[in-house]
Amino acid sequence: MYAHSCNADGLSEGARNFKLPVTLGSGREIMNFTRRTLLAAVGAAAILVQPVAGFSKDLPRNMRMVIGSTSTGGDTYQAAAIVADALSDKLGINIKVDAVGAAAGFKALARDKRGTTIMMFHDFAYLAELYGGKGFENPFEAFTVGATVATNPANAYLVSKDSPYQNMSDILQAAVDGTRVRVAIQPGGVSEIGFSAMKNAANVMKPGAGENIVAVNTGSQSDKNQAMWDGLADVINGSIQANEQFTQLPEDDQKAMRFVWLTSTEATLKEAPEAGMGKLTRDAMLQYAEPETSVPLDENTDFTFDKEFFFIFNKDMDPELIDTIDGALAEIYDEGNIQEREKAAFFTPNFQPSAVAREHLREKRETYGKLIKDLDG
Amino acid sequence: MELFDSLSPLFVLLTIGGTFVGIIFGAIPGMTATMAVAVCLPITYSLGLENGLALLLGLYVGGISGGLVPAILLGIPGTPSSITTTLDGYPMAQQGQGEKALRIGIVASLVGGLISLLILDFFAPALADFAIKFSYVEKFLIILFALTVMAALSSDLLLGIFSGFLGIFISLIGTYDVTNGGNGEWRLIPPGTEYWLQDGFSLLPLLIGLFGLATVLEEAQTGMQPGMSQKDVKVGKHERFSFRIFNGQWINLIRSSCIGTFVGILPGVGGSAASILSYSNAKTFSKHPERFGKGEPAGVMASEAGNNGLTGGALVPLLSLGIPGDSTTALLIGAFTLQGVQVGPLFIGNNPGTWDAMIWAMLIANIAMFVMMYFAIRYFAMVVTIPKHILFPVILMMCVIGAYTINYGIMFDVWTLLIFGIFGWAMGKLRLEVAPFIIGFILGPSAEVYFVKTLESFGDVSIFFTKSPIAMVLWVMIIGSVVGSILLNRSAAKRIRENS
Repeated sequence: MYAHSCNADGLSEGARNFKLPVTLGSGREIMNFTRRTLLAAVGAAAILVQPVAGFSKDLPRNMRMVIGSTSTGGDTYQAAAIVADALSDKLGINIKVDAVGAAAGFKALARDKRGTTIMMFHDFAYLAELYGGKGFENPFEAFTVGATVATNPANAYLVSKDSPYQNMSDILQAAVDGTRVRVAIQPGGVSEIGFSAMKNAANVMKPGAGENIVAVNTGSQSDKNQAMWDGLADVINGSIQANEQFTQLPEDDQKAMRFVWLTSTEATLKEAPEAGMGKLTRDAMLQYAEPETSVPLDENTDFTFDKEFFFIFNKDMDPELIDTIDGALAEIYDEGNIQEREKAAFFTPNFQPSAVAREHLREKRETYGKLIKDLDG
Repeated sequence: MELFDSLSPLFVLLTIGGTFVGIIFGAIPGMTATMAVAVCLPITYSLGLENGLALLLGLYVGGISGGLVPAILLGIPGTPSSITTTLDGYPMAQQGQGEKALRIGIVASLVGGLISLLILDFFAPALADFAIKFSYVEKFLIILFALTVMAALSSDLLLGIFSGFLGIFISLIGTYDVTNGGNGEWRLIPPGTEYWLQDGFSLLPLLIGLFGLATVLEEAQTGMQPGMSQKDVKVGKHERFSFRIFNGQWINLIRSSCIGTFVGILPGVGGSAASILSYSNAKTFSKHPERFGKGEPAGVMASEAGNNGLTGGALVPLLSLGIPGDSTTALLIGAFTLQGVQVGPLFIGNNPGTWDAMIWAMLIANIAMFVMMYFAIRYFAMVVTIPKHILFPVILMMCVIGAYTINYGIMFDVWTLLIFGIFGWAMGKLRLEVAPFIIGFILGPSAEVYFVKTLESFGDVSIFFTKSPIAMVLWVMIIGSVVGSILLNRSAAKRIRENS
């Protein structure tokens, strides 16, 4: 996403004062004319590309927003694009979203203390380190975690339409009864945290039963779907956006699927559009989430997971710049237009200023960290 | 008529404009169709879905097609899918037949694009159902089949295969990526280089290093030969281009287009495999396989029909399953996402207008590509008349810019270009072979993933032979390709002995 602003007033001022030196005649004069014209054109172009002064004087005029995904078709790019667009307009600067991926994104962020590179990512940022991902650090120590902007309520688990498992209770009971349940996930992040919760829930129901819930490590959504179609997985991780149409297929279609669990909280799902997505209405979604669908975290509470998108900054970036971004975001969310755009893209708007968001995400990390640690024994 | 509903002047203009820009991206070494789509993706938000898709599909078709220009004229594949075009196109250019090779490539691109479009239009949902029958096992066997082309492309069988394995080895340096189903562990990274080699070597910088910089270094060592004169390269003054050159090649063209389309419908196999497999088949079924690699027009036809055949094929899983068939169509999903449109098995039925618009855009883009490139060829072909002392610095600059921008500004990619430029130059001295090396590098990671995933999933090596009838057919093709390559190599060696 390249949101571009330029100083129209500055340009017109420059253009008004500019007089073209027309000196036709000898070859030399023509050469001068050409050279001057070129110089003038370059000068005009230079003025044209000057963006207006930023929201704050210290804010870089050109900012790069790296994201932790290499996909431009995924929710991270979409969330970043919406926010970058709004911030560009509000701050009068250029913000370009680059889908560089997690490792490259963190590297780029670590290199740039000036604030010309910022990052937009989701819970993978800390889950990768909790799962022992090579090269990933605790973002709360290595970087500055900033404001949250949106939640994707669509993290889902599905079974084949002809699966014997009708719901999560069936799946967990099967594990308790000693049946091996294979779950296709992409290891080390958002996809795995739901799998860890299933293992933990089985353990809560019967100590040791979590061993019967096993991971089938796949890559992309395509690989997870294929694992189900090949009969290599009983349950797959997916999303409402990517998998909802498969749930509309007739049962005799090999590709047909059924939702069994949405990991989001009831409160988050209630913020989703009433019509939902495709044939899955908001009311139907709520049937697949807590408290209707229970995956116990412990004896008293259900496990939930909201995939939240938030800013990450270089550790040494000037805090005033972060405050400026926070302030601009607060104004943007006060105006209310961005919420409509986020909802249209099936996000739940979720702005929390940096300080609040940091504490909230730190608590999340601690909760999931304990879960992962307990499972590791 | 509903079919023509989407055909507004803006729609047509965007498709043609996209094709033009795509050709330019494809024609600059280091810039690809994927990059063109990535750059223009944000614009589509304001254009609306159908107009946005018109622009992106034009870029896609143009970008894939434009790659043949540097492949033929400079010996540098503009895109990874043009590697096999280089093998015969560049020798043709060196023999003063650059313009002819370009025309052959453009016609083959059009045929490939149109055949794949027909298949897409008529059979998309059915083909998607067929595609999901290809599990890890069958995908591994397809990659293995494509890897057998290493033997077919080797002038010295042992050194060629060694070069190919070296390519596979180098491709595995880095992280066993979780996004491919790996465990996220690092492997084969020399101590102290983890920071740079965490993601391994990028394909494009390596490619333009081996083909572009290595050539510059070689010329620097031997002393630059003068460029060709205009009369050396212009067909018009000496022989008119005749479509009769395609006589006897229609089967090659149709087969290559179908192979390209077929590879496209298999998610994860990768676009480069399309042209490699098409080329390999053309050589296997040719009456003169010994001419391949030395300027054989049939090689250019197969490669270009194959890689343009991919364009329609890669849209099949995208529009029927919501799964992209290659890296560029993975970006196209972004256009749908930005407009809030779901892509999945019901997409075509639920969005007939968008579906028609995409078919129109592909058709217009293919025709626009043909017209623009066919009639601009004589100007393209003049590139080889530019004195090398001017041309080479420009190439070098474009290579560096391309390498730096391919992953959004990573300096290590420029180092990769330099490292493999020197390595490519040294390969010539060591009699190692570049083409098998590149093929090994491109296909190595896919081969690894599908091999490991097969063993993880089925736990038994015998599954490779017993999984399905498709697997058995693929084994027959693999064995046929290997035996054919050995026999060909032996007859070539015998001929050399007799001549000497």
